[in-house]
Amino acid sequence: MAVAQPVGVYEREDLLTGCQAVAEGIRLANVDVIAAYPIRPYTEVMDAISKIIADGKLDAEYIVADSEHSQFEIVKHAASVGARAFAGSSGTGWMYGFEALVVTATDRLPVLFLVGNRALDDPGAFGVEHNDALAIRDMGWLLCWVATAQEALEHVLLGYRIAEDKRVMMPMALAMDGAFLTHSQHIVRIPSQEAVNRFLPPFDLAERRLHPDNPVSIAPQVNEDWVMEIRRQNWEAARRARGVITTAYEEFNQVFGPRYKPPYYFEEFQTEDAEVVLVGMGTVAMPARTAVRRLREQGHRVGYVNLRWFRPFPTLELRDCLRRFRAVGVIDRDFAHGAPDDGGVLLHEVRSCLYPLRERPAVVNFITGLGGRDVSIQDAIRMYQITQEAARKDRLDGFVTWVGVRE
Amino acid sequence: MIKRVEINYRGIFQKTLAKKIGGDIVMIASRMGQVGFSNGRYSDAPERNGIPCKYFAFVSPDLSEEELEAECGAKLDIDEANISVVLDDTMVKGVEPWAWHGVRPINEKVVPYGHMLVVSRRKPEDLVRFMARKPYPYYLALLEGDASFAGLWVYRDDLTHERVLGALAALDPQLLSIEAVKSYLWDKTHEQHRVDAAQQAFESVRQNIYEVTPAQGIDWPYEIPKLPKWHEFSEGVVVKAVPREFHLGPKGQSRNQLFKRGTTKSQRPVVRFDLCTKCTLCWLECPDQCFDPTPDGYYDVDYEYCVGCGKCAEVCPVQECIVMVDELAFEDNRSPWEHWKQDPEGYVRWAEEKKGKHRVLPNVVTGTGARVVEVEPVPVGGKPKPAARAGA
Repeated sequence: MAVAQPVGVYEREDLLTGCQAVAEGIRLANVDVIAAYPIRPYTEVMDAISKIIADGKLDAEYIVADSEHSQFEIVKHAASVGARAFAGSSGTGWMYGFEALVVTATDRLPVLFLVGNRALDDPGAFGVEHNDALAIRDMGWLLCWVATAQEALEHVLLGYRIAEDKRVMMPMALAMDGAFLTHSQHIVRIPSQEAVNRFLPPFDLAERRLHPDNPVSIAPQVNEDWVMEIRRQNWEAARRARGVITTAYEEFNQVFGPRYKPPYYFEEFQTEDAEVVLVGMGTVAMPARTAVRRLREQGHRVGYVNLRWFRPFPTLELRDCLRRFRAVGVIDRDFAHGAPDDGGVLLHEVRSCLYPLRERPAVVNFITGLGGRDVSIQDAIRMYQITQEAARKDRLDGFVTWVGVRE
Repeated sequence: MIKRVEINYRGIFQKTLAKKIGGDIVMIASRMGQVGFSNGRYSDAPERNGIPCKYFAFVSPDLSEEELEAECGAKLDIDEANISVVLDDTMVKGVEPWAWHGVRPINEKVVPYGHMLVVSRRKPEDLVRFMARKPYPYYLALLEGDASFAGLWVYRDDLTHERVLGALAALDPQLLSIEAVKSYLWDKTHEQHRVDAAQQAFESVRQNIYEVTPAQGIDWPYEIPKLPKWHEFSEGVVVKAVPREFHLGPKGQSRNQLFKRGTTKSQRPVVRFDLCTKCTLCWLECPDQCFDPTPDGYYDVDYEYCVGCGKCAEVCPVQECIVMVDELAFEDNRSPWEHWKQDPEGYVRWAEEKKGKHRVLPNVVTGTGARVVEVEPVPVGGKPKPAARAGA
């Protein structure tokens, strides 16, 4: 995508990994409290932030915790006193802190977390799978995947902006594929502090702030006479987040130039006249979009939809987008063993979003790239071919196809 | 038709007792060809000493178990009770089991011509004078006895369990017949004294049933809080603290208006300010900060918040200065320090009258009963003497 570059908005370019790009975002967001506990691939972001602090470029409390659980509790409490806070993890580390993650959402504390996606044990593995971040999907979190280092930096700023909005006040999980994005170096344009300050207002917890001058209790024990009302509040916040996200991207574009296109929740690639599309999240966009270019050279009308926001799920927008196609192939870099039709997590979200349509595109599902297995251009072409077949036929032999597994 | 029995008990001391009564109602009713089940009010936290809690038994002669459960299954509270058992008579002053519940009348759920069964040694009028006026008549039945600790295994079994079952048979033979109660107890225990206890309670309660008319009782002084709608309170599970305020004198410390916890107590501390040495121990040791410092260096008691734990009486180093007294001896929660300042001699006379001459001293080894000793009141102007300690 060509970047229009208003004067003074970007101060320099640098070669950064995805993790380093996030760290630059943390610096620019002037985060107050960072809690860290190492686990690959997240570790690199804590390394990068500590260096930024050591270099005197960020004034923040940097606390190395004794576990992910403590790490997440530290930032939750920091947010409750009004600090802008950051933490992150990967794979089993993220899961270990889950109890703290759930209460951060119910306490409506807008901390930003990086989830460097990593396969869940066992077997112990470093490579990407999306199941770790997806586990938070029903807990009142904002959850979004980025596909490039540039997006990663920018979504730190967007993430705080959206999460801290008074109408939202939800924690934000910024997910990125382990290794493919976290550890891959790309040239990233780094915005100027002045531009960031115009886009991202200071964090203000207002009357909920825990402070000696504003004594409050957070999260007391309650009976059956309260919980449902509290869930209802959180449901409403998750609904309100949709409008806030749209506005945030619009204002981001106003400050930084037309970086993102409506409807922002996902990005369409060569879908204008497409008959079939694949839908995926994260770095699988690279082989998929390359496959689109190659297949189009051969006259195939194919396109790609890269889903960025998983929570809140862009129900209406994605429905309006996908209804135009004859078949949709959903790429899951995750597993949902025993789920309906034995499909992946994303499949069920997409299919459920299409269900109210009278005439629906055919839907097929691909499980691929698990545990960091690379998804090749050839793999993507094969997925397009199966999806094209689904568009032609009423029935397929198999609804779910494992792509890239040794058979 | 559904018969709902609620058993009001004090946590933790009576939890097992209430559960056993509820369970046995179901067992006996089922022997009579009825369907039933029993549960506790799930919202309760009965591990807290003295907190008012409820256990339920639901019985029907004609509904299926599933329908009965659908009507009566786990809810925040039941809507009505055909029989309301009260295992500790001090609960007639009202019950507040948790925050935002309010102090509710003990007879709140009793239906027209339904029954209250209270374990008590008091006269019916001494109980009704604390209870809320109801718009319809109902019955008050008395089972003579003390608030039983028998549910705790370390305490001696006083047969309250069997006696309540016999009493219920006296109130509603269709719910439980005395024959079914007795045969059940015999089959379960093969102990004749348990069967006899039920029979005796059955006979005595039949002589102790009183109609309570709409003219009797009091206009309930406590407001029932209205729970806010989902959009009417702060998001993020944030609760504003009680604003911190302090001045010397009664109620000089700000406290939570939405959970006063005073209905947790069955006894309250009576203070002889004239014997007080201002040692501060009651104020220091009270787990609920119920003692308010006064301008003249004493410590007033806020009885609305006192849970009757007895810690102050335990630590008070002066004989007869702080003594725990049955809660039903008191009409109101007025400030005892103000009472004393207004009328020093009258207050001491009043306090000694409430205290009576007998003091119950539990034995060091639990389950071995208690000693009752007679004391001579310390006159006004009497000198403070060191308190006797256990084993002394």
